Order: sequence, then C-alpha cells, then structure tokens
Amino acid sequence: MKRYVMTIDLRRCVGCQTCTAACKGANATPPGVQWRRVLDIETGEFPDVRRTFLPVACMHCANPPCEEVCPTRATTKRADGLVAIDYDLCIGCANCVMACPYDARSIVHEAHYAYGDQPLSSEAVRFDPARIGVSMKCTFCVDRIDQAAVTGRTPGVHPEVTPACVNSCISGAMEFGDINDPESTVSRLLGETQHYRMHEELGTEPGVYYIWDQS
Amino acid sequence: MKAAQSKSVKHVPTLCYNCVSGPDFMTVKVVDGVATEIEPNFAAAEVHPAHGKVCVKAYGLVQKTYNPNRILSPMKRTNPKKGRNEDPGFVPISWDEALDMVAAKLNAIRAKGLRDEAGLPRVAVSFGHGGTPANYMGTFPALLAAWGPVDYSFGSGQGVKCVHSEHLYGEFWHRGFTVAADTPNARYVIAVGANVEVTGGPCAVIRHADARVRGYKRVQVEPHLTVTGACSAEWVPIRPKTDPAFLFALIHVLVREHGLDELDLPFLRDRTASPYLVAPDGLYLRDPESGKPLVWDEVSGRAVAFDMPGAKPAVAGCHRVARAVVVDADQARREYADVVGKTAHEMLSEHIAKYTPEWAETVCDVPADTIRRIANEYLENASIGATIEIDGKTLPLRPVAVTLGKSVNNGWGAYECCWARTVLAALVGALENPGGLVGTTVRLNRPQNNRHLSVEPGEDGFMVQHFNPTDKEEWQSAPATRNLHQTLVPIVGHNGAWSQALGPTQLAWMFQDERPADWNMPTPTFPELWIVYRSNPAISFWDTKKLAEIAARFPYMVCFAYTVDETNYMADLLLPEATDLESTQMIRMGGTKYMEQFWDYKGVVLRQSAVAPQGDARDFTWIATELARRSGLLGSYVDAINRGVSGVSPLKGDGYDFSFDPAQAPAAEKIWDSVCRAASVTLSEGKEEHGLDWFKEHGFYAIPMSRLDWYLSPTMEQKGLRYELPYQERLLRVGRELGNRLHEKRMGWWDEQLSEYTALPEWHDVPARWVRNLEHAGAKAADFPFWLLATKSMQYHAGGNAGIELMREVAQNVRGHAGVIMNATTAAGLGIAEGDRIEVRSHIGATYGKATLAQGIRPDTLVIMGQFDHWATPYAKDLDLPSLNTIAPMTLDLTDATGSGSDIVRVAVRRVEATT
Amino acid sequence: MKNSAKRIADLVSPRQQRNWDWRAATNFIAGGAGGGLLLWTSIAVSEPDATRTAILLALVLIASGLTCVWFEIGRPWRALNVYRHFATSWMTREAVVALLLFAAGGLAVLTVRPLFVIPAGILGLAFLYSQARILAANKGIPAWRHPRSVALMIATGLAEGGGFLACVLAVSSAVFSNWILAGLVVLIVIRAFVWRMYLGGLVADGAPDGALRVLNGIAPRFLVFGHVLPALAIAAVLAGIPGRAGLLFAAGIMVAASGWFLKFTLVRRAAFSQGLALLRLPVRGRGAAGPAAKPGWKGMPG
Repeated sequence: MKRYVMTIDLRRCVGCQTCTAACKGANATPPGVQWRRVLDIETGEFPDVRRTFLPVACMHCANPPCEEVCPTRATTKRADGLVAIDYDLCIGCANCVMACPYDARSIVHEAHYAYGDQPLSSEAVRFDPARIGVSMKCTFCVDRIDQAAVTGRTPGVHPEVTPACVNSCISGAMEFGDINDPESTVSRLLGETQHYRMHEELGTEPGVYYIWDQS
Repeated sequence: MKAAQSKSVKHVPTLCYNCVSGPDFMTVKVVDGVATEIEPNFAAAEVHPAHGKVCVKAYGLVQKTYNPNRILSPMKRTNPKKGRNEDPGFVPISWDEALDMVAAKLNAIRAKGLRDEAGLPRVAVSFGHGGTPANYMGTFPALLAAWGPVDYSFGSGQGVKCVHSEHLYGEFWHRGFTVAADTPNARYVIAVGANVEVTGGPCAVIRHADARVRGYKRVQVEPHLTVTGACSAEWVPIRPKTDPAFLFALIHVLVREHGLDELDLPFLRDRTASPYLVAPDGLYLRDPESGKPLVWDEVSGRAVAFDMPGAKPAVAGCHRVARAVVVDADQARREYADVVGKTAHEMLSEHIAKYTPEWAETVCDVPADTIRRIANEYLENASIGATIEIDGKTLPLRPVAVTLGKSVNNGWGAYECCWARTVLAALVGALENPGGLVGTTVRLNRPQNNRHLSVEPGEDGFMVQHFNPTDKEEWQSAPATRNLHQTLVPIVGHNGAWSQALGPTQLAWMFQDERPADWNMPTPTFPELWIVYRSNPAISFWDTKKLAEIAARFPYMVCFAYTVDETNYMADLLLPEATDLESTQMIRMGGTKYMEQFWDYKGVVLRQSAVAPQGDARDFTWIATELARRSGLLGSYVDAINRGVSGVSPLKGDGYDFSFDPAQAPAAEKIWDSVCRAASVTLSEGKEEHGLDWFKEHGFYAIPMSRLDWYLSPTMEQKGLRYELPYQERLLRVGRELGNRLHEKRMGWWDEQLSEYTALPEWHDVPARWVRNLEHAGAKAADFPFWLLATKSMQYHAGGNAGIELMREVAQNVRGHAGVIMNATTAAGLGIAEGDRIEVRSHIGATYGKATLAQGIRPDTLVIMGQFDHWATPYAKDLDLPSLNTIAPMTLDLTDATGSGSDIVRVAVRRVEATT
Repeated sequence: MKNSAKRIADLVSPRQQRNWDWRAATNFIAGGAGGGLLLWTSIAVSEPDATRTAILLALVLIASGLTCVWFEIGRPWRALNVYRHFATSWMTREAVVALLLFAAGGLAVLTVRPLFVIPAGILGLAFLYSQARILAANKGIPAWRHPRSVALMIATGLAEGGGFLACVLAVSSAVFSNWILAGLVVLIVIRAFVWRMYLGGLVADGAPDGALRVLNGIAPRFLVFGHVLPALAIAAVLAGIPGRAGLLFAAGIMVAASGWFLKFTLVRRAAFSQGLALLRLPVRGRGAAGPAAKPGWKGMPG
C-alpha cells in the first residue's frame, strides 16, 4: 500500500515563495488563494533573534478531520494517502475549513482576477467554474499522481508526476514520495534526519514531515 | 486542469535572465497558444547548477505577458510640456511612423556630428539592471556598435544599487567583477551584508542550502536580519556603515594576535606583494636599474628584484637596502642609499596594530569577544596546509571566505571593506583557491567569457589592469562622457559600455543641473536623444523627484516601454517590444559568472518566442534591423552582427560561414538561425551544427568544463604573477597623479574623493559623512536620529515587475513587503504599533508606509525593501509602498572615489495614522 | 484604490475564522435555542395554546437558522448532498435530525398530543447535541474543539430554551408553577457553572491568545446579564413582587439573549484558528536547533 508524503527540510528553506508561485501557476488559483505558502516566523528578542521559514499546505493527514466532518463526502482520503475533494459534490459549507488545524482550505464565492473584472488570457483559458463556491486546497497535484499510475513513472522521482511545488523548490527543501517504500527519497531522508509533524497531538497523523537536523 | 486537457498543450524550453544571477532554465506551458505556467526545465538539470530551475520572479512572466496595462502599440507624446503633473497625452501611432521618427532624429544627429560642442555624445542610452537588458534586446547592441559614440552615463542606480567598489577593486585584485565564496567547499563564511539568499538566484540558493546541510557555518554581519541572516548560523547586528572597523579588527587578530607562523606564508610570499619593500615615504623601493620592486632575499641576505630566480623573499621585517629608487606620481624618481625598507606585510602589521577588537567594539557596537572569536574561527577553519584534488590536480583547500553586500561594498568605506576582505583571504591563502574567496567573471577586462584569458603580466609582477591614464599627456581633461568616468576614475578603465556604465553615474544627473564653483571643464550638455530600455531611474536612483525633473528637460526621449512608468512618463515616443516570453535571442551560459553561477558546463541557451507577441509589440531584433535600415546604418549593423556583436560568436570563422550580406536586411529568424549555427559549430569545434529549429526544440547546447576554471590562483602561479595586495602603492601614486591633473585645472571639488587613494586604508568615521551631509544642508543632526537602509527582495529584485499582481501577492508572505521594518522596542517608545502608517523623513523629503515591527533589526535602524513609491506605473502606483530612493540625497560629498554611493540616509520617524 | 498590505503576523498567528459569518452563527444561535425550547416545552408545558406557541416558536427559530445557513453555503442548490455522510459528519446528522424534528414538530403543532410533542422534544435535544458536536468536531478552532465546549453549547441551548419558554408563558394566559421558575434558576446556575468550567479548561489546556482575550473579555457581562440579573428577576417573582409576567419575561429574554451573545462570540469573535507551530527551529549550518515556537499562544515564543 502506497502512502505519499512530503518532506520539507527547514534547514534549506529560504522563504523565497517560488513554491507558492509555482503552485498558483500549476493550479490556477485565484488572487489571494494560496494552496501552499511559506510563512516567515520571527522568534526571540533583539539581538537573540531567529527567523524561520515554514512552508505550509494541506498535510494530507492519515486521519483527516476535514474528511470526518464533511457532510457530503466530497472530501475523501484516498488509498494512496492523498486527501481529495470532489468539487461536484461539495456544497461549500466550510465545515472542513473549520476542521482543518492547518489553515489549508479556502472557499472562493465569486470569480476574482489578477487585474480587475476581466480575466487575463492565461486566466480565461484555465478558468474552472466548478471551483467557485466549493472548498479547495492543495491536492498534492493529484492529476500528476494519477498520471503516474498510467505511465508507470514514480512520483518524487520523475518531475512530470511530482507536485509542482516540489519541482520548483530551488533550495532542494522539498521531497515527495512513498513512505512505505524504504528505497524512496523520503524514506531515506527521514531515516537520516530528525523531524516532526505539525500538531501531531491533535491525532491527525499528517503526511508532511519537517526536517530540522541530522540524526 | 480538466478543461485544459482536451486542448493543445506544449512545453517550450527557454530561460529567465531578469536579474544578474541568471540565466536560469525554464519551460513555458502553452495551452492553445496561451502561456499558462512557468515550470523548471528538467532537461537541463544536469548542466545547470540550479538543476534547471528558476526563482519566484520568473513565475510572474505569464502575468507580465498578459498584463492589461501593457503598451501594445507605438505611442507618441502629444503634450509638449513634460513633468510629473503633465499628462503626456500618449496616442497610438503605426510602427512605420514611429520608426521614421527615430530614424529622422538619428539622421539629423549624424548630419550634425556624433559629438556635440562639449565633446559629449549626442545620443545617450540607459539600460537597466547589471547588463541584463542585453539578454532581451536582440541585435540592438549591433545597432549601437554601428552608430558610434554613445553616452551610457545616465545610470539607473548602478554605482549605488550594485556592488560598485567590489566591481572595480575585485576585478583589479583578482578578476572578480563580483566575488563569492566557493560555497561547495566552504566551511566558514563571514557574510557582511551579503544577502545572497535573496539576490544570488537559484544557483546561489542551492549551493548554500547544500552547504548548510553539510554543516558549514555562515556568520551574517548586518544591521537587519535579512533572509540570508535568517538562514545563517549566527547574526551579528553591526552598526550601519562601520563594517571596515569590524574587518580591520579581524585582520588585527590574524596578523597581530596570531602572526605569520599561523598564516599561509608561502601564499603571501609567492602570490602577493607582501615581501615588497616599502620606503619610508610609502613607495616601493625599486631596483635603480630595472625599476622593479625590491624584496629581501633570505638566501643571499640582500635586496633583490622581486622576480630574481632562486630568491626566497622575506615576508616580515625591516631590511636595510644599500641603493634603491622610488617612483612617485608623474614618474618623479627619488634615490635612496642605505635605507631601511619595511616589507609590505610589515607595513600592514604596523598599520593594523591600532585596530584591536576592543577598539572596533566602540565603533561597530559588536562585542570585542565576538569579533575575536569570529577571527579565530575563521583562521581555524582555514585549515592552512590542507589540499584538495580537483580533476587530477592538487590545490590548496582554504574553506573560508568573507563576502560583502550592497551598501557595504559601495560608497564611502567600501574601498576599505573590499581591501580588508581580500587581504583576509590572502592572509590564509584562501584567495582564488578551493573553498575560499573567488571572483566570478570580468567586465572591465576582456574577454568577458573567460577571466583566465584576461590574466596577463602587467607592472611590478602583478597582472595587467588598464587604468584610465592620469599622466599629463593622456589624462582626459575634457570628459568624453557626462559621468566623467575616464576623467575621474582611473580604475574603472575604458572597456566600452561597461566601464562607462560603472562611472560615477550620479554625477551625470547632478551636473546637468549645477556644478561645483571651481568646475573648469566644458559645461555638460543634454543628450539630444536619450534611449531607455528596461530602466526606470526615476524610481531606481536617488532624489527621484529631482531626477525626474531633470529627465523632463531632455529634448527627446525614446523609451522601449512595457507599461507607462515614472521615467517614460517624460518620453516623446514609446516603443513596445515583445517581452520575455514573446521574443527570440540566443545567449551564452555556463562558465563562471555572478552571483554564484559556477558551472561544470558552458554553452549557449535560446530564449524563444513561446507565444505570439501581444498587440503590436515587436521583436527587438526586428526593431533594431528596421532602425538600421531607415537610418542608413544597415551595412555596419550587419557587419557588427557578422562579427558576433549581438550573438555569441562571429558568424564566420574557421571552416564555417553563416554571415549575412551587409547590403540586405536579414530577417530576425534568419539572424538567430545563423547565431545558433555559429555557436554550435564553435562550441563543438566543428563537430555539430544546429539551427534555430533544433534549439527551439532542445533549448540549449553545452559542453563540459573543468572546475579548475573556478579558481584563478593556479593561473596566477602558472604565469608567475602576484596579487596586488596588501599594499596599494599603485593606487597611492595614481591618486596623487589624478590630484595633480585636477589641481592643474584649478579644480578642488574632487579633493575629498582623492583622500581615498591610500596604500593602506585607515578607518575614518564613515557614518559621520551622512550626518555632515545633512548638517551642510542646514538640518540638525538631532532631528534625524535613525539610519534608514534599503534591502532587496527576491520577488522584485531587478524584475521590473512592481506592476505584476502575482509578485505582490506572494511577496507579502515575506517580511518587509508591507512597508517600513523597524525595531519593535523602538516603535513602542514612539507610540507606533504594527501596521500604523508612518512617515519616514530625511532632510530632503518624506516617504510613507506601514510599520512592520520586528526584533531582528537594530534599534537605531529602519529598513525599506526594494524600490517602490511609484506614481505612474499602473498597479504599482496603488501599492502605497515607501522608498528610500525618494528621500536619499544625491550629492557630491556622499560620492566616493570610485563614483559610488550607498543606500543609507539619516531619518526621523513618526506615526501619521493608526492602523485600522 | 490603495492596495492594502497584509501584516506578516496575521499570516503566522491564529486568526479569526472568516468563513462562517453571522448566517452560520445564526444557525447555532437560533437553532440551539429552538432545540432547547422544544425540549422544555415537551417536558414542562401541558396547556395546548402555550404548547403550540412554544413549539411553533422553536420551529421558526430552527428553520430560520437553517435558512441562514442555506444562504451562506457556496452551492445552495446542492444542499441535499448534506445527507451523504451520516457515518461521521455531525452536520449530516444535524440535517437528518432536522428533518425528523420538523415532521414531529409539525405534527405536534397540529395535534398538541404527547405522542408527537415528546418525540419533538427529544429531537430538539438531539438537534442541540448535533450542533454542539458540529462545533466540537472542528479541530482547527481550539475554542470549539475543547471537550467542554459540547457541555457549554448544550447548557446554553437549554438555558436559552428555558428563557424562551419563560417568555412564552409570561405572555400567554397559561398558568405555570414555581417549579418552572426554579427549573430556570437551575438552568442559569448550571450554565454559569459550565461556562466557568469551560473557560477554566480552555485556559488550563491552552488556546490562542486572541480567543482567550475575547472570551475573558465577555465573561463579566455574560455573568451579570445572563445569570445574576435574570436570577434576581426570578427571585423577585418568587418573592411575589408585582409585575410577575414582566419580570419573568425580562428574565427569560436575558437568559436567551446572553446565550446568543455567548454563541455569537464563540462562533465569530473567539473562533481563532489553531495557527502554526514549530516543534524545533532548524539548525542553520552549524550550532544548535532553536526551541519550539507557537506564535499567538501564551507562554510560547513567537
């Protein structure tokens, strides 16, 4: 059984937002909607200060609270670990938005464009009315993962079946793959490093691992 | 997207070179002829140091293409009055009309003469950031080459926004137009304001990320905790502009507290001027016959010429020399007999004695213990004696470096910093050796694509550097450019547009308006035609309001325009060129290049038209060809193309000929097809020939390159040359000569700058210069108690993309993009809360923005990110963001000897409106 | 137009939820009170007119809440999809309960027979319970997911129901015993107790600073206007002070209104998201990792 996860090496991340922008491009999200973003967090007091960059998105939890509360079964947990949304079922009740402790979901009630009322050509060609009024979030670029099954390629190894953010990351902070495959990059990295998952105490069993030091 | 899957989809390989840290590879996803996404180009993952990836800026290129605010047809001005408050009244015209208007101007100028009565070029051209526009303007450089003298004086920030002193001194000392750590081998890096995680592009980011995981230590020394500071092991919040004192103290610890026994003695002896003997008057003692500098030979126990075979020069000590001469400015010779000469290292040691860490603490506000610890860690990590094997050759491994950032390595104090960090590298043998401090490329020397080939013997055992002459006969007493680069700045040289553009560009602006009382040279004139491309000096320079007023007085201005902006608001003609994703051009890639592009390959890469140009925007090569044709320059324009001026190699060479008939205007596609063929034939040494169609499919062509090419010291060793360090006898002499020339013309207005020409730089109170500046302007220092600095943003830096919505959106996730960063405790004392709208006022004006409170900034310092405060650029003008440029003065007393200045100004701050 | 800049702290720290506005809050406000009213009506009232009025009021309350929600959801014409996840979704369960509740409630209004009134009352309680569980299932909002929030939502729903019942009785001609008054006092006391327990638990277990600030901020007003004053009014009624109906009505309104105030606060103003946390700050090359950070949570750096 596959379980796709993402590893994010906080030692590497420089907070550049390349993944944020790549995600917006790959998923054609409207202005203001960021399925993933990198937060800029300062701690301490002058002069003992640290600034840390923290990429966040849907954690694709093994025990997703969003899926539990969803009244329509639009949100489902797939066998490969991805948490998916069927836009055609979702009623946009926002219960999942409240249930997610990672601030990963959002709903857009009307079309917004980068420059005023009219879409740019690049926005028009990809506008999807099915995504208005429903819950949205990072999909781990599910279309690409599904393509892997068709082409026999491996997510996390072959870029065309790997999430756009991971592909775009210029510091090499992000990796993607099957944690149940001991040979995968993510398995190897997690074996070599110290890491944590966010808000694990909430029992969500997130699928994103943050690396902070070597073992 | 589901909808897209049924449509035609293609992935077009191309590149991004918006900032100097490029080129980087990318692909454009095109759906039904519309660009929809930017993606990495993984086909280039092996050859590209950043594995085929581009930074965040490139992801804005889709919106850049379809931005509804674009200028999409030529426009001419209908309002003859110019100014910020004058609506230009731009109206669309045809390309025919527009090109004829420019050609008529060019033809009229040519008829009068290319230079005017002041001896200045009648045509001036300004390009933006760091030479990058050349990667987007097709064959326009061939047109300029065909034209003749052009004035590149009117800078858009070069000198003050670049790393100016590093350009000049870095290239002088070690062929480092910009200078970097050899990050892949580094163990310890002291980054003094170098914000490489923001400005170094994907190549720098991945190198440093790998180094962090490997366990290198970077100490970030800067007043504000930048992204690079955030990613460093230690932050040292130094007082602004006191960096020379910090660096001098590091040298003190190495030289005075450790001493030669612990330094890299062989490197100092053989690769530097450390053993050269210095006379009591501060000049090199020279052999009376040959004029060569003398060293003390420990074998024979006497003074010999530095290049005496078999000699073992003493690095330390004072040595008695029986007979010698010194050569001063203007070849004035003095003879010495029985004179005591001190080695250059001895001079350094005595010079640096007073700069103890305890002294530096009082200047820099950095504890002496911290300075001493950092110096000791630097020395310890230098692992003197260690070696590394690279491609079968054993080289020293010295994995330590000091890197400098903007505002540290430009303006007053920058000479001191550049000197100190290069000396720090030399002391431990880390200069141009693996792990150490390495130059990237050359721009003031030739050839640009291989700095090793520029290493030729020059004077006194050093490599050649072509200074602008300062002798009586050849000194340029009547400036040939409006920034006086050949007249005032010997070290900037005269290597074409690069030397020009790196002159004192603010002088060009300032002297249009008023000149010093004792100005005894021809009065500068306005350029009759000013052409601007990818440049917005009315935002990106200083005292921008005044600068725009000056630009408004220029008689005729042609701007290649993406949207209306603050500079082209004064234009007479706007020409819309096809932009990044719409046009075609082949450029070089690979080798070694700023900021941290160190490749294992070199070759060429194609930027291609992924989508059709919007509106009536035209490919730059077509525009250049049409202008050449209409202004009677076709023959020399085509000749220039044939010589390789706008391509990567000549179109005709041994065994190949893709050149064009100068009588015919070649089509743009044909030009690039020939460039592609010439490039592939020369790179493959005749084995392969690929045309434009091949490159459109494959994107690039690369051949392997040895990492040995990353380091200059082996080349220096092979040629028996020394780095011109630590003693700056030549600069001392040149400065005196320049002073003689200026004083002969009864001009004293550059005297302060002449004080920078010293053999061993002394600390002077650098920050006090900014205080004196405002006092001279009649303001009270106590009224402006804070320092205001600028910092860069990866999202915006050099992107010309302040009008791109996507950048605005993602940039806001990074601190500083909302307004003015200030210390939270300072803010509390002033009653300023997060998000309050504040006024930041200098003695020349005010700028406004929201307060962003932080702990990671000194209490006496404010920081504004990027360059904003737009008033004409659509979208950007609604951002309500402040800018240092609005309130930083442009004055002679803040201009250093290289013609550079620094992004810093004294300010007051107050709340004008509470947050809502 | 000025393009206003975001504050970086707002991106990092817990922030007020922005998806459930007054319409969603109205469902909890009115629906919970309606459920409580339905329950107390089925237990405590026998007089047909008062029963009919009270049940009708309860149904109107619940219906108006659900209508508001219908106007809030992104895809109202697909609203029936809400019935697709009975296995775990309390929103589905609430919707199922609502169907049964309106059936039973409707029949109860028509017949006023215990056969329908009592099931309607039980369904009112079930509706109230479902709503409490909807909130508590939201792990993203610490003030909601606290285990004691269920008790608080039920306690206030029951108190509000009692309050409304008092109002109905005050304006109707029906006679009512002092037991009802005593019951209302008990509900007030229980709610005050549960509220203290909830707030204490939240402080002890940790919650975003913003949520605690808002909840602590309303505590005195909530206690005085929702508990002390209505209790005094009822005491006055029991003491035989003239104006029995007016005092009772005032007490009922205060109990109900304060509950609504509490729920509006809880659903809107105190609904701060979890925010983000780092268990360790990363090693940057050399040196030690940094301590944990949880911006916007008391006692945690950030």
